[in-house]
Amino acid sequence: MRRHKSVQYLILALMLLVGGYAVGRSFASSGDVLRPGDKPPSFRLADLQGEAHTLEEYAGNPLILNFWGTFCPPCREEMPALQQQYEAWKDEGLQVVGINLSEDRHRVENFIRRIGVSFPILLDTNRRTERAFGLREYPTTYFIDANGVIRQIVSGPLTIEEIEGRVKSLLESA
Amino acid sequence: MIRNTKCECGHQNPVGTVLCEACGKPLDEELAASDSVLEMRYDGMARRSQKPHPNPVDRVWNFFSSVRVAVWLIVITLAAAALGTVFPQESAFVNLTDPAAYYRENYGTIGAVYHALGLSRTFESWWFITLMVMIGASLVICSLDRVLPLYRALTRQQVRKHLQFITRQQVVYVGPIQGDAEAWTARFAEILSRKRYKVRTDGNALLAEKNRFSRWGPYVIHIGLIVFLLAVLMRGVIPGWYMDEYVGLDDGEIEQIPRTGYFVKSLGFRIDFYSDDELPEHLKGQLRVKQFTTKAVLYECVAYCDDATREPELKEVAAHDIRVNSPLSYRGLRLYQYDFAEAPRLISVRPTLVDKRTGQSYGPFELPMRHPPLTYSVGPFTLELRDSFPEFGLDENGEPVTLSREPNAPAFVFVIKGPGLPEEGVPYLYFPREADRQRFGQDRINGAAAEMFDIRVMSMEDVEFSTYTSYLNVRVDRGMPYVWTGAAITMIGLVMGIYWNHRRIWLRIDDGVLSLGAHTNKNRFGLRAEVAAALAKAGIEVDAKMLDNRRKES
Amino acid sequence: MTDWLQISSNAVIVAFFLYCFSFIAYAVAVGGSRFANREPEAHRRRWGNIGLWLAAAGWAAHLVYFFARWAGAGHIPVSNLYEFLMALGIAMMLAFFVIRFAYRHPLLGAFALPLTIIIVAYASVFPSEVQPLVPALNSIWLRLHVTTAVLGEAFFAVGFTAALILILRVTDFSRTDKAGRRARFWAEFTLVVIVIVIGFLVAVFGFRAAGYHAEFRQETVTVDARGNVIEQESTVEYGLPPIFKPYNSETVSMDPFLGMTEPLFETPSWMNGVNAGRKWNTVVWSVIVGLLLYGLLRLIIRKPLARAIQPALDGIDPDDLDEISYRAIAIGFPLFTLGALVFAMIWAQIAWSRFWGWDPKEVWALITWLFYSAYLHLRLSRGWHGIRSAWLAVIGFLIVMFTLIGVNLLIAGLHSYAGVS
Repeated sequence: MRRHKSVQYLILALMLLVGGYAVGRSFASSGDVLRPGDKPPSFRLADLQGEAHTLEEYAGNPLILNFWGTFCPPCREEMPALQQQYEAWKDEGLQVVGINLSEDRHRVENFIRRIGVSFPILLDTNRRTERAFGLREYPTTYFIDANGVIRQIVSGPLTIEEIEGRVKSLLESA
Repeated sequence: MIRNTKCECGHQNPVGTVLCEACGKPLDEELAASDSVLEMRYDGMARRSQKPHPNPVDRVWNFFSSVRVAVWLIVITLAAAALGTVFPQESAFVNLTDPAAYYRENYGTIGAVYHALGLSRTFESWWFITLMVMIGASLVICSLDRVLPLYRALTRQQVRKHLQFITRQQVVYVGPIQGDAEAWTARFAEILSRKRYKVRTDGNALLAEKNRFSRWGPYVIHIGLIVFLLAVLMRGVIPGWYMDEYVGLDDGEIEQIPRTGYFVKSLGFRIDFYSDDELPEHLKGQLRVKQFTTKAVLYECVAYCDDATREPELKEVAAHDIRVNSPLSYRGLRLYQYDFAEAPRLISVRPTLVDKRTGQSYGPFELPMRHPPLTYSVGPFTLELRDSFPEFGLDENGEPVTLSREPNAPAFVFVIKGPGLPEEGVPYLYFPREADRQRFGQDRINGAAAEMFDIRVMSMEDVEFSTYTSYLNVRVDRGMPYVWTGAAITMIGLVMGIYWNHRRIWLRIDDGVLSLGAHTNKNRFGLRAEVAAALAKAGIEVDAKMLDNRRKES
Repeated sequence: MTDWLQISSNAVIVAFFLYCFSFIAYAVAVGGSRFANREPEAHRRRWGNIGLWLAAAGWAAHLVYFFARWAGAGHIPVSNLYEFLMALGIAMMLAFFVIRFAYRHPLLGAFALPLTIIIVAYASVFPSEVQPLVPALNSIWLRLHVTTAVLGEAFFAVGFTAALILILRVTDFSRTDKAGRRARFWAEFTLVVIVIVIGFLVAVFGFRAAGYHAEFRQETVTVDARGNVIEQESTVEYGLPPIFKPYNSETVSMDPFLGMTEPLFETPSWMNGVNAGRKWNTVVWSVIVGLLLYGLLRLIIRKPLARAIQPALDGIDPDDLDEISYRAIAIGFPLFTLGALVFAMIWAQIAWSRFWGWDPKEVWALITWLFYSAYLHLRLSRGWHGIRSAWLAVIGFLIVMFTLIGVNLLIAGLHSYAGVS
């Protein structure tokens, strides 16, 4: 009888485990969209000079990761603001990286030259990185702290003031 | 209350036993006093969960072991599922940006309430999953609780049964017989053996039985269902077991399948229509789609797969004409024809460079719309690609921009260098599509350069274009073999449990009086006819209907 | 090809009339036994056999329809509602024969035949033209799925028939307490529902024969998944006089009917399925004609229908009916599981890349399966026999019919066949 009892407990425990997992999963967010508090997925992308860079290179200092394309009007619009803020805060340790949305290199170069962007631009290919980040809208900007944790995600164009406020809180927390 | 569970035959029964495990006598005094037909469920055995002092864990166990609870779970699941079909589920849409608004605007207040209650996501909701889990628990515990006692009861059957047990079966015959009791029993045993019964005798008592395996049918069904449910659950748990992605391909385009090292290329999408011969009279002359086909080639990346600075090295691994009902399949990866969209796009052109000053033409040269090379040598000239716009347009400042990444209205900025031209070359904007050339005024933009050069396609043979974008659904579903195994086990259980039935016949002869009782879990008619036929062979003519125990009461 | 189709459509007419004659023979067998000079048992057997032969002949003609259409269309005729319901009729007769010969019950036909007749007539409401298969339907698994599922459902239908006879047989008209009144009410109500279904057929075929026609222009506004508002103008055609016109529509043309030249009401806005207005109007007509028919019957026989039928069922043993109903359902259950769930999942896996997608039709097949599994559990483990089990069989069949037809008419999904009325 004792043996039966322990078998009974084992079965119930197993079912609680499997069932609890199944039910718990239904609460979990579906899909792979990033949220504040997550760590962004790693990437290895080429810059305009053809050299590869990884996300890990930027660890240790606050980072603004901006996904943009020349085909997206709000992306073009916010570029000067990003550039201005990059210049204003780069001495404090702020890094800004623009990831282009899988366009041809010459297209990106022409645009960068015309606008006068000096922060590093990386080139996504085949939309791989964009998919890994689960991007829904362009532009999307990730504010990542020195520990590599996403603090804020903003979809849509940013003004100088909007960037500034967020940069300050990133730098303060560092 | 502790009842005496010791039977008069001397057998000690577990608490909760209805019919003595040995002789079959009803143990409950009230039951023993009546003469109703005996309820033979689980052969009157005590179920595992029937215990005198249940603790909380026992109570949980008892809850799930109850068929009443199981039926309630089924009914609640059924009702919930029905509610889930009132309006379309959110999962039915590929691109639903604002579900709340969608339900409110299309279905009014009821729709808004439906969405607010979470019914628009019924089948992914925690409470529906909970119901499924509870059904799973019920399947496991109900089965365990019954199958073991039933197994014991059926493997330890005693031949000689209590008289009350025999005369209170569904099918009963009581009557006098002539001659020696044991000889009669032996003869009857012979008759039943010929009807494929397994017969055991004990003096003038007999037990004949057939198709016992059908009693395991319900438990086999339940095992199958558990395997099925677990397989479905596992798909979501084990990484790499399940993937559901979509790839849109123009003719000739190659795309990486997201999250894999595979690339797929479309060699062309085709729609076939029924010919007039195949159409009935009233539809002749109409276009009716017969089949969609994407000629696809699957590549595997073998080197530089994650290296953004180099082109990946690809190796062809499979090719298939993907049709509806005929996916491409490679190592668990399946590509299905999912959808298509009419999106006429250029793939590449082979234009000719015309030097208007001399009338000479050079070329043609190959110009792909996606990822064009940076230099082209055409006759004595060199064309350097300075910029390209997949979908040409002008921004608010009148600057040229691209409106998307798709080559819907491609434009290329070349710098032409060569004999008789300035060192820095002559810039030239080229629209491969005649319509764009007119719309944006190519010659006007090029100004003086347009006087010197023309770049144009000479014939349709120099144009490669795609009419449709084919959408493929890419799936990995490594749980499927287990899902099918579960379904197959369930079917086997159903067939053995329902199309066969367990039949048992008991008899004993006391002082020249034959008492015969027979029981089956299904198809009383068949059993009745079989018993009547066997009795007839033994010289006792009786109408099959008169064997029915219930009929005797009236 | 056209010849085959001609043979096929003629065969349907032959089958229909043979079924009707068979039903008459069965009705004589049941109802006439008390007035016959001969022994009632012999009378029953004689007319029961005539009914059986006529039913067999009708079934043969029905099979001719099926195979001739198969030859003519080039694919097995189970791809639109007309073909599907015809297949259901054929399968129901097969299930009837199986049960009839297993139990040698002479009178099951008296109730199984009218059900088949209703199904065949109902099939004829839908357009019968041969349609070329859309790509997804062109699969061996579809054929297996539909034919096996239909066979399972046919056994459920026979189970329903036996259950209905059982209910009519055991309803006690002498009881006056609450439970007795309730039992009488529901037995009669079931018959009223059947008369309304017949009313539907009478209305549709009556006005079709008279060539009635009305037409409306309707404006519908929907919002798509991306939030865009889509306005559509469509023409809605009515074959029945419009008691209710489509929501937000204007009359294009309308034949007058009994002095009615304008629609009386407008369909409420919340009924917004495809052709909701026409369907609602048809429902209203079915109820009106059905209730008129019922009233007429009551006037003629001067007592509730259930009470009028009951004496004819005197000789039938309720336990036998209970067993027949249960066995028919038990035989149908594995077939239904295999056809409507397992084969359907295999096909869905191949055609739509997922074996299960919570499509309304799939969900309703699951609901049907869950319901019958509850039925079997209640019967086998909780001892629900007789009248309770019979009511479950009736409800089960309602769910089957909703799954087969209701889902297509009310809920759009992957299974929405072409040309649904």
